[in-house]
Amino acid sequence: MTSALIADGLTKRYGRRTALSDCTLDIPAGHVVGLVGPNGAGKSTLLQLACGLLDPTTGRIEALGERPVSGSPRVGFVAQDTPVYAGLTVAEHLRMGAHLNPSWDAGLADRRIAQVGLDPAQKAGKLSGGQRAQLALTVAAAKRPDLLLLDEPVAALDPLARRNFLQGLMELTVEQGMSIIMSSHLVADLERVCDHLVLLVGSRVRVAGDVDDLLAGHHRLVGPRREPAEVGSGRHVVEQSHTDVQSTLIVRSTAPIDDPAWQVDRLGLEDIVLAYMSGPGGQR
Amino acid sequence: MIWMTWRQFRNPALVTGALLLVLLAGLALTWAQVTDLAAQAGFTGCQGDACAGAAETFLDSLRPRMAYELHLAAIVTLILLPVLLGIFWGAPLVARELETGTYRMVFSQSVGRGRWLLVKLLIGGAAAALGAGLLSLMLTRWAQPIDAASADRLNPLVFGARGIVPVGYAALAFVAGVTAGLLLRRTLTAMVVTLLVVAGLQLAGPLVVRPWLADPATTTVPLDVDGQLGISMSMDTKEIRVHVEPDLRGAWVLSNTTVTSTGAEFTGPADTTQCGPEAPRDRETCPGWLKAQNLSQELTYVPGSRFWALQWREFGVLIALTLGLSWFSLWWIRRRLT
Repeated sequence: MTSALIADGLTKRYGRRTALSDCTLDIPAGHVVGLVGPNGAGKSTLLQLACGLLDPTTGRIEALGERPVSGSPRVGFVAQDTPVYAGLTVAEHLRMGAHLNPSWDAGLADRRIAQVGLDPAQKAGKLSGGQRAQLALTVAAAKRPDLLLLDEPVAALDPLARRNFLQGLMELTVEQGMSIIMSSHLVADLERVCDHLVLLVGSRVRVAGDVDDLLAGHHRLVGPRREPAEVGSGRHVVEQSHTDVQSTLIVRSTAPIDDPAWQVDRLGLEDIVLAYMSGPGGQR
Repeated sequence: MIWMTWRQFRNPALVTGALLLVLLAGLALTWAQVTDLAAQAGFTGCQGDACAGAAETFLDSLRPRMAYELHLAAIVTLILLPVLLGIFWGAPLVARELETGTYRMVFSQSVGRGRWLLVKLLIGGAAAALGAGLLSLMLTRWAQPIDAASADRLNPLVFGARGIVPVGYAALAFVAGVTAGLLLRRTLTAMVVTLLVVAGLQLAGPLVVRPWLADPATTTVPLDVDGQLGISMSMDTKEIRVHVEPDLRGAWVLSNTTVTSTGAEFTGPADTTQCGPEAPRDRETCPGWLKAQNLSQELTYVPGSRFWALQWREFGVLIALTLGLSWFSLWWIRRRLT
């Protein structure tokens, strides 16, 4: 399987401020990948490096096996706050896309605009946040990239608009078969559309894997107080909290846990992400 | 890319075009007025000494007419045009994209940043050159009788509104605005900096670069004390200075010094019994006394015949600067813009 995105010792500094330091990751192609992490983890920087809008200070990054350059027909990008040209109409945005992309899919663009109910004659400056995001996504998708990068595309949307947007995204992956990497700090949204998850904390990958494996491989153990070392081999404690008599552990284990001393619960994706973010090594 | 450039550039281009069109129409409508007045004054096709008087008559008859005002308006427009192009066409071109974040949208299309900027520079620069060129060409042809009569084409104000030099300033100002916007990333800041830079260039051009490019001639002629004399003197120090308008028709005089036979600048001391308010018959005695001083006039000047050579040289310098700045901004947007 090829990689959608590879980073190796990737560092980006703005003057003295370090936005991303020594990031190493490998994101497989053919997935809808959720990139999660707290604010300031370097998600936006990573995505902008991946589409060639930024150049790394040191280290290596490859998107679809190539060094990213802006203007690549294979990589699409929708920036945070989904910028559009306020003075251009919706139809003119599509016309721009058609002029600037040899692989432009006019049918797809028109269909999507009609589907999400945008008026082609409307100036983009008059659109709501959700409509703007839909327009930006349409322009990026109709380019038919092999890899589509979305930076917090749903952050500004209300719940309904968010659901519509994600719905549109899923249709795109089914129809076009493109790889998508989208960043967000709203794990619940990602859980709905992503089949792969990368958690970035302080420029480091804390955990990465298929969503199903993550859900199957993490457990909450509640039982009488014990030291974490006693949970057994092959099990990795992600987070722990103790009272005088009781211990609560979040444990990663590929094998099922059938120790009668523990009460074992399944975890949601959000619980897993939170556990990694607050566990040891989670805080910077 | 061409469609996108045109779409974003349409409004400022149409506004500027409309303004230029009004001026061009005004020149076209007064064309006959200027040639008629020149013919009536007997200036057209005049021979020898008659020309000086005819030129005077022609210029006097022109003064109360519309064409005279229009001439001034066209000169002012051509001098202001580069600043306006730099501020309103150049500065926002990249700065607005960086400021509003739309650069992240357009750089995500299948067009490299270098090509994106190159097309914008080519179309904007060509339009700026074309606008300034059309107006300057028309004005140069229109004002031919006026220039011939007044013989001051090399006057810094007139020179910058004739021939091909306005094309160079317009193109350079546009690219300077683009570069300022690219480096400063704020539209308003870029506009202010562009204003200062372009105004500075337009001052440095005539004051510093042009005299140097013109390779001026120097000549020393005997001081003509029989014509118009400009004398200033101080009764206390007996210092006296003499200024005589040089007889160099059409030339751009850079310096005009009255010198003694040794070559030093003449400052007196004056003989107050011959010159000045205490001399009883100053008007008669002073020229004679000055003549006896054996004075000369040292002139540094650019002859009128150098007009086109100087136009081409300055145009060349401006275009070289334009290309250099364009290359720099293309390099910057590809390598340094983050």
